[in-house]
Amino acid sequence: MASRRRMLLKVIILGDSGVGKTSLMNQYVNKKFSNQYKATIGADFLTKEVQIDDRLFTLQIWDTAGQERFQSLGVAFYRGADCCVLVYDVNVMKSFDNLNNWREEFLLQASPSDPENFPFIVLGNKIDIDGGNSRVVSEKKAKAWCASKGNIPYFETSAKEGLNVEAAFQCIAMNALKNEPEEDIYLPDTIDVAGGGRQLQRSSGCEC
Amino acid sequence: MARKLEESTGHKNGGMESGGCGFLMRSEITHDEHPLSLGKTSVWNQFFQDTETIEQIDRDVKRTHPDMHFFSGDTSLAKSNQEALRHILIIFAKLNPGIRYVQGMNEVLAPLFYVFRNDPDQNNAAYAEADAFFCFVELLSGFRDNFCQKLDNSVVGIRSTIAKLSELLKKHDGELWRHLEITTKVNPQFYAFRWITLLLTQEFNFADSLHIWDTLLSDPEGPQETLLRVCCAMLILVRRRLLAGDFTSNLKLLQNYPSTNISHLLYVANKLRGSSAG
Repeated sequence: MASRRRMLLKVIILGDSGVGKTSLMNQYVNKKFSNQYKATIGADFLTKEVQIDDRLFTLQIWDTAGQERFQSLGVAFYRGADCCVLVYDVNVMKSFDNLNNWREEFLLQASPSDPENFPFIVLGNKIDIDGGNSRVVSEKKAKAWCASKGNIPYFETSAKEGLNVEAAFQCIAMNALKNEPEEDIYLPDTIDVAGGGRQLQRSSGCEC
Repeated sequence: MARKLEESTGHKNGGMESGGCGFLMRSEITHDEHPLSLGKTSVWNQFFQDTETIEQIDRDVKRTHPDMHFFSGDTSLAKSNQEALRHILIIFAKLNPGIRYVQGMNEVLAPLFYVFRNDPDQNNAAYAEADAFFCFVELLSGFRDNFCQKLDNSVVGIRSTIAKLSELLKKHDGELWRHLEITTKVNPQFYAFRWITLLLTQEFNFADSLHIWDTLLSDPEGPQETLLRVCCAMLILVRRRLLAGDFTSNLKLLQNYPSTNISHLLYVANKLRGSSAG
């Protein structure tokens, strides 16, 4: 039972409306791009098998609605997340400015046990548009923000062209795994010592 | 009405430009009217809010039924229809400052506009925008609380509506309810949020949604109660697959509901009526 639970990595995708969250998820899972996506209402859900160091995991990806109105409903979706992906559109300054709000809102609602070290990843999407001529957020600026928030890994992607999407999600999976790394290795050793209680608490924290 | 709004926005723009141009005028701007003021009465703040709402509406109108020529594409038909949707949503947002525009309203409006615009009588079709607006307001008067963030945790908000669906399922099919919510831990919010706020418009193809809507809008018990019965029937119709499924397969099934015989679905929903009153 415990090992089955470990095989599942939960990932939440957040960001302003229209930055390409649904497109990124579908490009990664189905290797397809469409400009016919409807607005996401509530949250959509997809899974994908990933292999990390010879072990198979199921990545459970939650694609959320971008409009602020839906944030208060987030708690049900955010809970138990192992990694949070923050997406902005490199051509829209506001979507970058809002990353901070999304990050804080996530930490507030998901209330992870170690918020300082909770794994986030930032994706600057739509780098294909207009050959990059319409971009308003520079890579330098984005990286500086990521560095200031505890060295968040940063990727520039194009969901349309499939650029960097695979690499970004590989990193997402690795970081999601790091979120709960030692548990399965050390659990048997700590089962009958005082630390056992602590282990139990931690595992119940990630289960819900 | 749309023209009225544009006029008033245009007027506001003009007004603000003249206020900001002259240096002498500046001293007369009260603190509340400062461009960076976040006060509710600030004309500037209202202007920024309106801009944001209109941008969101534009984004979603373009994404309304992208697979239908009636709504999407570069044809003049699609463009004029998109314009109409845009007008209606903007005016609704202005008239309902507590809710404004919430993503998904475009999906609720689309079937209404489609039906009026395709009226075989040209004289009626010409007034599709006005007629759709009236009916949209009327329909949302019963559903608007689902769109309102402030009511999310109240007895009339979306959470409570979803809880009612859960109760209805529990009453009619306790085994399925237990398996879904207790055993596989599928929180009804994960699928029913969209079912309910969009009145099932994203779960079926367009023709099938219209078929369902005929029942929703004509049932004497009103659209809210009827909608919950149809949602409950949807769960019951796939109960065998749900009972055999785990969290992942069940959620995938309910987020991508299989196409089904709508008449049969409505028949099953109708049968839930008698006992739901008791």
